[in-house]
Amino acid sequence: MKKLLAMLLALCMVLALTACGGQTATNPTPQPEDDQPADDGTVTISLWTYPIGDWTDETTVKSFIADFNAVHPEIKVNVEYLDYTNGDDKVNTAIEGGNAPDIIMEGPERLIANWGAKGLMLDLADMVPEGTYDGVLGSCTNANGAVYELPVCMTAHCMAINLEVFEEADALQYIDLESHTWTTEDFFQAVQAVYDAGYPYVGTVFCGGQGGDQGTRALVTNLYGGTYANPEHTAYTYASEENAQALAALCAQDGITFDPSIVASDEIQNFVNGTFQMAFCWNATQEVNNADALDFDVYPMAFPAEDGVPSLQGGIWGYGVFDNHDEARAEAAKTFIRYLTEDDAVYAKVVEATHFQPVRDVDGVYEGNELMAEYALMNPLMGDYYQITKGWTTARTEWWNMLQRVGASDGSVETILAELQAAQDAANAAAEAE
Amino acid sequence: MPSDTQVKRLSTGRLVLHENVAAYLFLLPFLIFFVGFVLYPMFLCVYTSLFDATMGREDIYIGLQNYQELFSDPVFWVALKNTAIIVLVSVPVTCAFSLWVASAISKMPVAATSAFRCIFYLPVVTGSVAVTMVWKWMFNNYYGIFNYLGQNTGLIDKPINWLGDPKYALGCIILILLTTSVGQPIVLYVSALDNVDRTLVEAAAVDGATPFQAFWKVKWPQMMPTTLYILVITTINSFQCFALIQLLTSGGPKNSTMTIMYYIYYNAFKLYRYGYGNAMGVILAIIIAILSAVQLRLGKEK
Amino acid sequence: MKNLTNTKSRVYYILAFVLILLIALSFLFPLYWIITGSFKVKQDILSTTPVWFPTEWVTKNYESLFAKRSAPLFEIGSFVGPTIPGAIRWLINTVFMSAAAMLLTCLTAAMAGYALAKKRFYGRTLIFSLIVAAMALPKQVILIPLLREMSALNLYDTIWAAIIPVVGWPFGVFLIKQFAEGIPTEMVEACRIDGAGEWRAFTDVMFPMIKPGVGACAIFTFINSWNDYFMQLIMLTSTKNLTISLGIATMQGENSTDFGLIMAGSALAAVPILIVFVIFQKYFTKGITMGAVKG
Repeated sequence: MKKLLAMLLALCMVLALTACGGQTATNPTPQPEDDQPADDGTVTISLWTYPIGDWTDETTVKSFIADFNAVHPEIKVNVEYLDYTNGDDKVNTAIEGGNAPDIIMEGPERLIANWGAKGLMLDLADMVPEGTYDGVLGSCTNANGAVYELPVCMTAHCMAINLEVFEEADALQYIDLESHTWTTEDFFQAVQAVYDAGYPYVGTVFCGGQGGDQGTRALVTNLYGGTYANPEHTAYTYASEENAQALAALCAQDGITFDPSIVASDEIQNFVNGTFQMAFCWNATQEVNNADALDFDVYPMAFPAEDGVPSLQGGIWGYGVFDNHDEARAEAAKTFIRYLTEDDAVYAKVVEATHFQPVRDVDGVYEGNELMAEYALMNPLMGDYYQITKGWTTARTEWWNMLQRVGASDGSVETILAELQAAQDAANAAAEAE
Repeated sequence: MPSDTQVKRLSTGRLVLHENVAAYLFLLPFLIFFVGFVLYPMFLCVYTSLFDATMGREDIYIGLQNYQELFSDPVFWVALKNTAIIVLVSVPVTCAFSLWVASAISKMPVAATSAFRCIFYLPVVTGSVAVTMVWKWMFNNYYGIFNYLGQNTGLIDKPINWLGDPKYALGCIILILLTTSVGQPIVLYVSALDNVDRTLVEAAAVDGATPFQAFWKVKWPQMMPTTLYILVITTINSFQCFALIQLLTSGGPKNSTMTIMYYIYYNAFKLYRYGYGNAMGVILAIIIAILSAVQLRLGKEK
Repeated sequence: MKNLTNTKSRVYYILAFVLILLIALSFLFPLYWIITGSFKVKQDILSTTPVWFPTEWVTKNYESLFAKRSAPLFEIGSFVGPTIPGAIRWLINTVFMSAAAMLLTCLTAAMAGYALAKKRFYGRTLIFSLIVAAMALPKQVILIPLLREMSALNLYDTIWAAIIPVVGWPFGVFLIKQFAEGIPTEMVEACRIDGAGEWRAFTDVMFPMIKPGVGACAIFTFINSWNDYFMQLIMLTSTKNLTISLGIATMQGENSTDFGLIMAGSALAAVPILIVFVIFQKYFTKGITMGAVKG
């Protein structure tokens, strides 16, 4: 028996030892004292990226790092890949755990309105390349002029339809095939036609979480000309007659369902696999990423509006640097993102890997790429980038919760307006508190 | 010169001291973990619950405001209600179901008993995430097996969005929870039934008791300790169900599956309200402490 | 009269058997669905009419599971092992985590359980009450302080952050204490009168007698730690530090409806522990019942 106990003890000790070994090794962002540029001058930094085009693909990202290391062998970059379902939780736990990444790749709603507003990010104003579009830069800058995001790419979020099914249902007559637009009336008629042709799930208002909610926001606000936030980005305005009318129309329409069990990524996959006939969360990168799985023609569409001219939701992505109180790591992080954005040739490749549009004029980007040309049609329709309104996190949460309640309600305009009002009040309260 | 009694007291004193030191040395390794990673965080939890704590700034002392807000937060009450429903449904159902299965299979041939016991235990070892994933697929609104079976057998006339419908979501969660929690009680009951004093059962039969009477009057009292133990572990299990909620519904739709456990997580990592989340944790801990005390008292009485 | 009861009970017996058989099949079904699903082609998976048996067995799901993420096999200091599929590393992490939690818990709980059962000391009631009170405490309650503590100790995002809270969970101590109380005190006393020290009294007399209780504790802790998704979710972030449960959950977040891929991950997570369970089934059931019946 003594032997057994001795063995147990020995095992525990071995475990503890490997633990110590493992610990120093497994710490992706070592504590400050460990990484004063070590003897050999190497610095280890971490890059966490949300799924932005091929920036979720290990091979692509590693090749960028390999190219970078050819120039800067002294900076080691560890990559972690985030998703939109758990990504925020993961970053937030990491921040709370004192283990925030050095570089994060996402958009202004997180980098400026969330982590930036909490004072966790470094100002990158001196790194913005010349020629960056003013509108984009404006969205990456906070009220005090600090740039918390070095913008890389942008897109106008649109929607998509299954062209073959629409053709089969004789619904193409409701679409302006040249400009990829339609009016609100045509939209509902088209949905009805597809539904009547035997497709029960034409479009789905997904509301299981915040993922991809730009799609549902754009759909609701454009149908009857409502708005989401005021132009000054100080308050939310979505509790309007127009939006209530839009939601009521969606509730009443055959073939449109509210599904609180899915988020945008599920919607996209259900669209790609043919279960849904349209996707409200779509852009060029979705078509590229799903190219292998798609066995029908995808037709990108602008969101429907009464006059056929919607105000599309923009998406901007770029790099932010967390302030981890470590000069060496901050410098290394900046060196890396400067490398990715400064030189036109490298930058063009970086942009192409996102499958989105560049944020400054660059030669040779997407040359001869018809798909990108098709999606570029959406750019002129891009509307206000209101995702940096204060209280954004709360506003988003309130939005999908509101959709869940609306989906389960009687669908009357009064009920819906009350739900919208409740959600807006909570969001505005959060905006004021910030 | 010390008197006899003094000597005695001295040596008892030394003995007591020795016993105390030895006891604490034996306890030490455990206490390090227990105090360090359960009690101390619990203390911190109570402490932080008095602060407005969030990411990226110093905590602000606000006294009992978190608690005040908590009691007027409708979602908190919904979460409390849902947690109570989960516990109140799953605990008795688990106990009754496993008792029934155990009493039926314990009469079967040994091979059958152990085969069934093994099968009912499988979901426990499969792992909560793997189980959750497959159920998610089976419950799927568009190509899940439940809608197919329901429609084919005529039980439902159109597809039900099981996890997306406030009427069904909590029920679905409880159903999955049940499949993962009956395994252990069945094993326990089978062996408890084996250990029941045969002579007593036979004596009862001779006295003309029906099998049903024999069961309730003779076997059931003998299995009381097992039942209590099962009650305790099933309660703990039901309170802790988190993976199911997080991976299947995230508390929705319309908060119909929001539990306290998930609401704490939600407040902490989606709304960054650490102090508020901690206040909720304190309330939950108090509720659970009361429940445990009651169960323990019940156990002592029996 | 007697015949009537006999027929009645026979009918009940057969009915119960059929019913239990059906329920047992429905318990087996999810497992069947995981394993067949992991070998199905996409059309089979998305079919609205369930494909009960794969029309074509493919390993594509496993291939994409292994190709998705990669991690080094091990890292000791600056020495980095060969790169392997992330899923394999996750499996290794999970086994290591559960085994370490099991060993540490058994050791600490056996000692503490013994002390609580057989020693009279100041604070005994207090400590035992705390243990009972904390036993039912869901870990979510202390998640925020625990997270801050782990990060202060520099353990955040290491596998130890998922192990330590399991070891601190007092259920094992409770179990062994209950078990040890059934052992006659005289035996320990006798050994001590023979002049054996405290430690020898524990290792030579007590430990062999509470071994079944320790076995139960080991099984509980292993399964508990393997399934402790919540702690893992909070404490681990790097791809190379994930556990298999967490890995599948992450994949689910990225490819929510690619059920083929998710089932492949689930099968990978479930099958090893299922094999262990089926082989050691006897010990499992024994261990579980020991813990409770004696307690």
